[in-house]
Amino acid sequence: MKKREKTRIRLIVNGEPYEVEVEPHKTLLEVLRDDLNLTGTKGSCGVGECGTCTVLVDGKPMLSCLTLAITVRDRNITTIEGLAKDSKLHILQKIFLEKGAVQCGFCTPSMLLTAKALLDENPNPTRQEVIDYLSGVLCRCTGYVKIVDAVLAAAEEIRRRGSEYAEE
Amino acid sequence: MVRTLEPFEYYEPTSIKEASDLLQSFGEKARIIAGGVDLLARMRRREITPDALVSIKFIPGLDFVEEADGQLRIGALASIRSVELSKVVQEAYPLLYEAVHSIHSIQVKNTGTLIGNLCIATPASDIAAALIALDAKVKIAGPSGERTVPLEEFYLGVRKTVLQPGEFVTEVMVPRPSSEAKGAFLKLVRNATDIAKVNVAVLLTVKNGVCEDARVVLGSVAPVIFRAKKAEEALKGKSLDEKVAVEAAAAAAEEAKPITDIRSTAEYRREMSRVLTLRAIRRIMEG
Repeated sequence: MKKREKTRIRLIVNGEPYEVEVEPHKTLLEVLRDDLNLTGTKGSCGVGECGTCTVLVDGKPMLSCLTLAITVRDRNITTIEGLAKDSKLHILQKIFLEKGAVQCGFCTPSMLLTAKALLDENPNPTRQEVIDYLSGVLCRCTGYVKIVDAVLAAAEEIRRRGSEYAEE
Repeated sequence: MVRTLEPFEYYEPTSIKEASDLLQSFGEKARIIAGGVDLLARMRRREITPDALVSIKFIPGLDFVEEADGQLRIGALASIRSVELSKVVQEAYPLLYEAVHSIHSIQVKNTGTLIGNLCIATPASDIAAALIALDAKVKIAGPSGERTVPLEEFYLGVRKTVLQPGEFVTEVMVPRPSSEAKGAFLKLVRNATDIAKVNVAVLLTVKNGVCEDARVVLGSVAPVIFRAKKAEEALKGKSLDEKVAVEAAAAAAEEAKPITDIRSTAEYRREMSRVLTLRAIRRIMEG
């Protein structure tokens, strides 16, 4: 069987198709940051403990640092750059800002994407469900209380307005 | 220190046979990859530096969680999360659900596969402890065809299994527990995302207050996850009460062979083996 060398693949990121040449040992995180210049996704521990490299693959939070880019060709990938729509912030983003849930900001992209996946699955989570769902993302500032508060407030606002996006 | 991955030869077989042939031809120099959570982390740490990776991700027909003929079947590409979300697992295999649900990181559960978690052969696997209590078997594909091995006999040591060159696990099968069987899974962890210091999975079949069958499984307290047979004997045929539970828990702790490491001392692990076993049995008694 033929081994796969550097291969031209299509990655669908935030709805946009990108043609990229990747070597099999390149992780999705490296390709997003270094080839596509989408640096909102952060790398940190590199071994699946901190969750900072989270992206959504077909809507599910996954570890981009432990995913070979070649294996997610043609799948729908959402990074933090794709969370806002046109010039409208996602309500999670708006409320993270309002409630001071962003401190140093390093975990924020992963917290937001993971929270979005949670609300897509469960629009009305309990506080404990939010804590459990976000537990795979570590906040270096340990500012969890405001993050959980913000997710619960965003859930409520999204339910009330029937839209995920804030007004312009 | 964590570094980028070293280059490797990469293959994407599209059939089980092709994957098996590739794995056999490379022998120790190749690794199989599905979710990659454990493998790529270890490669980053340079604990292992395989020449080739054989991805089974594009083999059709391996991503399933379903029940048929009285048993649950989970395919090699089923994510841990898909098992957690399975209605049949939640309703008919609550012990497995508890173990899977005790793994917190949603990212790890989506990225990693359940069978990958079994095959890395860590004595701390919550899922393996629960599945041994449930008498699960693994289906193994290899150069000379298929074979089936009870999960209890699958492990030979830390990161060692009975898998021969060219072999890999394609499926795990779990018999549906009887309606009288009740289980409990408990573990002790430092924080939500760390691995267990001790984990315990207990499955008791109780009729009219009498324990007809018992499976008591302990993880993280010996080189392999094991059935505490003396604890099981202390339970079988007895009317379940506090005295029996205390005796069985003490027997389980005696059978543990824990080590001291960064997470706990051996003495603490042994004592907690007793405490968690007792709590698990009590929980089952309380219904």
